[in-house]
Amino acid sequence: MSVGLVIDKLSSGYAGAMVVRDVTLDLPPGQILAVLGKNGMGKSTLLKAMMGFLPKMAGSVHIAATDATRLAPHRVARLGVGYVAQEKALFQDLTVEENLRLAVRGPDFDRALAEVEESFPFLLQRLKQRAGTLSGGEQKMLLMARSLAVGAKFLLVDEITEGLQPSVIDRLAGVIRDARTRYGTTMLLVEQHLPFALAVADRWAVLERGEVADSGATDERDAATRVRRHLSV
Amino acid sequence: MIAQTLDIVTTAAILYAVATGLLLVFGVMKIINFAHGALMTLGGYAALVTTQMGLNPWLAIPIAALFGGVAGMAIERFVVRPLYSRPLDAILATWGLSIIIGQIITIVFGRGVQFTQAPLEGTMEILGESYSAYRLVLVLIAAALGIALTLLLKGTRLGLETRAVIMNEDLARGLGVNSGLVRFLTFTLGSALAGIAGALITPLSSVDPNMGVPWLVNAFMLVLVSGASLGSLLVSCLVLGGAQVLVSTHFNPVLGGLTIAVLAAVILRIRPQGFARD
Amino acid sequence: MTETRRLLPVLFAAILAFAAIGVGPYVLDTYSVNVLTRSLLYAAVALTVDLLWGYLGILTFGQSVFFAAGAYAAGLVFTHLDFTTSNAALALLLGILAALAIAAVVGWLAFWHGASALYASVITLVLPIVATQLLYSGGTFTGSSSGLSGFISFDISMEGWFWIAGGFLVSITTLAWLFVQSDAGRLLIAVRENEQRCKYLGLDTSRLKIIVYLVCAVIGAVAGYIYACYAMVVAPELAGFVFGTELVIWTALGGRGTLLGPVFGALIVDYESAQLSGDYPFVWQLIIGTVFVLVIVAFPRGLLPIVVDVPRKLLSMVLRRAPKPPMSVTLSTLDSVGTQGEAPGTGPALVVEDVAKHFGSLTVLAGIDFSARAGELVSLVGPNGAGKTTLMRCIADGSERSAGSIAVNGHDIGRRPPEACVRLGVGRKFQMANVFDTLTVAQCLQIARVRHKRPSLWRRATDLPLPEAAMHVLRTTGLDRQLGTPARLLSHGMKQALELSMVLALEPRVLLLDEPTAGLTKTERMQIGEILTDLTCKQGLCILLVEHDLDFVCEISSRVIVLHQGRIVLDGSVEEVVQSELVKQVYAGSGHAGIEHQAGRSGEVPA
Repeated sequence: MSVGLVIDKLSSGYAGAMVVRDVTLDLPPGQILAVLGKNGMGKSTLLKAMMGFLPKMAGSVHIAATDATRLAPHRVARLGVGYVAQEKALFQDLTVEENLRLAVRGPDFDRALAEVEESFPFLLQRLKQRAGTLSGGEQKMLLMARSLAVGAKFLLVDEITEGLQPSVIDRLAGVIRDARTRYGTTMLLVEQHLPFALAVADRWAVLERGEVADSGATDERDAATRVRRHLSV
Repeated sequence: MIAQTLDIVTTAAILYAVATGLLLVFGVMKIINFAHGALMTLGGYAALVTTQMGLNPWLAIPIAALFGGVAGMAIERFVVRPLYSRPLDAILATWGLSIIIGQIITIVFGRGVQFTQAPLEGTMEILGESYSAYRLVLVLIAAALGIALTLLLKGTRLGLETRAVIMNEDLARGLGVNSGLVRFLTFTLGSALAGIAGALITPLSSVDPNMGVPWLVNAFMLVLVSGASLGSLLVSCLVLGGAQVLVSTHFNPVLGGLTIAVLAAVILRIRPQGFARD
Repeated sequence: MTETRRLLPVLFAAILAFAAIGVGPYVLDTYSVNVLTRSLLYAAVALTVDLLWGYLGILTFGQSVFFAAGAYAAGLVFTHLDFTTSNAALALLLGILAALAIAAVVGWLAFWHGASALYASVITLVLPIVATQLLYSGGTFTGSSSGLSGFISFDISMEGWFWIAGGFLVSITTLAWLFVQSDAGRLLIAVRENEQRCKYLGLDTSRLKIIVYLVCAVIGAVAGYIYACYAMVVAPELAGFVFGTELVIWTALGGRGTLLGPVFGALIVDYESAQLSGDYPFVWQLIIGTVFVLVIVAFPRGLLPIVVDVPRKLLSMVLRRAPKPPMSVTLSTLDSVGTQGEAPGTGPALVVEDVAKHFGSLTVLAGIDFSARAGELVSLVGPNGAGKTTLMRCIADGSERSAGSIAVNGHDIGRRPPEACVRLGVGRKFQMANVFDTLTVAQCLQIARVRHKRPSLWRRATDLPLPEAAMHVLRTTGLDRQLGTPARLLSHGMKQALELSMVLALEPRVLLLDEPTAGLTKTERMQIGEILTDLTCKQGLCILLVEHDLDFVCEISSRVIVLHQGRIVLDGSVEEVVQSELVKQVYAGSGHAGIEHQAGRSGEVPA
């Protein structure tokens, strides 16, 4: 069994409506997969189902060879999965430090802080600030820091570039590539921002109405064209 | 004037001690624990037994906390947890529990009113007034409780996880926080606090199987008006407790007993968040 | 099943019950008759608790106060004035008026538009506490803690009182039964199940709640009046919350929402309490408390449904009879002349002027300006968080927006709540299929027509006239052959279609649809597309549509408005929008102007 992320024929949704249909994705360890698709196509639902927030009507999820299909969200997180939700991903009223502490389960908070300092030095000056007072870009940085400081082996990220300036997106891309090099983190990035996704990920997959419509490697010459076809108006 | 101020401060302190347990449970689990009054009664009778056994009356507090906490554990596991998705039914079930606890106490101790020995007798000289020493000490105890809880919430890992669950349970779970465990511990702590409050108030009047009930209503009106913050609970206790004292002394003690409930209802009608910051 | 066949058994049961009451005093011993007279009156109050809690969904601890209002009215009048027939009538009138006044105050506090269910229950809990304290402090006027006793009342025999109490209970129960089984009674269930949907179907749910509450208050007061005349003693405990919560306990044990369950529950438990109170008072209460908690946790439907289900299942197994089919309803189409909804004002169907919406310091919508005419199918598109659903909400609910004005058919919606906006011609279909799960398809549609056709208080209509638009949806999707299916058993696509029919049954002029194709199969999507195009072309509706499925949008829209970060970035025809560079970036590039894709250069992110 692969020690990466294996999603096999997963179907999930809300209140009887199947939003994700029969999705199969296989991420070997250390791979970055970008999941693309227009709004409402089931991308966020896929992540929520993987985390255990939504009931699974069919299929399975294996994380590092452990069957995570029926696990409660906090147990999935404890398998080493970092989840960055699209909305309300931070505790706005808690400080930066408290937000980081929540994610670090072991006693090595200082070591985690050291990791954070390397990639996001500015955060160390804001430790006592309420997370809600940071700018949009800084909050996203904090989200990445939170997941990486934990040493998460798997990252599920939902549209982290939303609402960010190009310069900040650049930095994020760098952070993500670093993390893969240093920790070998396997990542599933849900994205709407095509250039970012293609630049950072190894492979891409497009979700259309809950199903995987197409996929491929990002370094193929026709990758961009194929994706665009699915995303175009 | 001084006496009245002291009345207001001591009343607010007593209300605070009674309401904190309920507030924690409401904040984390979003339900009103109607068994809170019965747990207070349990604490009161624990205090009675302590004094009857000849032990130091101050020991009543930890003993009451123990009784309350243990009862709370059982209640959370068997009654509250299954009703997670039905909050109004949880209110009813905890009310049913309070009947059960009340009847068990009646069967064991009888229906009559009994008295406990106050840990501290007599009066103290303060600011030129002679005032009940025990009531003044209660202010210190309530303050200590508030400080201890604040330290717990702000300074410990469990406290951090609890605050996270209060703010956004799903987000906390996604970060690996076992919210089921947090709920269990919070309910146990809230019940222990109820027991302590019961032990604290018995020297002020008396012990009978239904002593917790009038406090329950006032406590949950205060909790509703305060939202999920210990700070705004303090404000509510001072403002509404103060109003109660003023109405009791200047008008009618009976109307005074109603002040908190009526004022809180009206405040919530006008401003549904009450005294909370939002 | 015709109306007569449905009502005949009820009449028969009522006659049987009256007979049982008539025979009662001759069969039971004196003590039982005395106790039961009281229990019968308590059961009538428990019935009101079930109406409010089991049917309407309002958990109320304070029905005891209305009982006490009627009782103390009698007690006060007969103590302080003499007992005469006119005074007796006066006392009854005063009791009813007092109950109505109290209910009106509670209604204002507890059932206003923003009140939560918890707050309403809390108010009903504070009510008896306030009432008992007021009675305690009434001095010799109210008799304080001992109450009033020894006053003279009607000279009626013990049997007579039993017949009066029993007759009262049977009459009230029969009337209540007819009511809850009728079309009007179903409104209560609809409100309990999905109050929001009711509001968006034009029902003033606050007013409905208050009316039911007032009626229940009167029933409680009359029961209390009879009690006081019979017992000739009134005490503050009658208004207390111990009695109030006992009523809730009886209702829960008997079975909330069954009407008969609470009545029998009250009769049985109160009777047994009287019997056992003498011998084992505390143990009995302990047993009741334990059974109560058990019922709430494990058997929330109560004990009566369980008791009834077992013999019914056995019977059906033995007799091998098919379950009775629900009453069938026949659909018919209304003449199109009468179905154009609100008289159209002059000008466009929808005018949105400078609308903005803030949440604290967060601006979700700003400077929204557009208008739409009848016959237009306007699609509202944009990335997540652009403000589309917020804009829909602002159009359907006058209190939502922070600034600007919105006019439907020439009428300014002002600050009107959703139900009033429906009256102006707005129909809103939600993103997640929002129907009444426990009601059948036909019943859901009937609720949607309530605004046009007042439901009967005791009958069930057998015909259901619907506007052409709604009929079209039902026929196209096949829902017209599933009128008897409970809504929760419908597939997702059918639920969406049902909700659409319900909204169309309102005869709106402006139809707001939030992601109508979400979760639909390809066929269902095509059907919806055809239906919507029909609605604008043939029926002259103005449709505003939020959608993510851009293919769908291009196929059916006459106009597209693109929202981004709370503002309109483009408002034009389908071609204009498809061609627009700006829109392409908004969609494929997270809205960063100037971002270009560089093919095949992995490892480099454009600046």
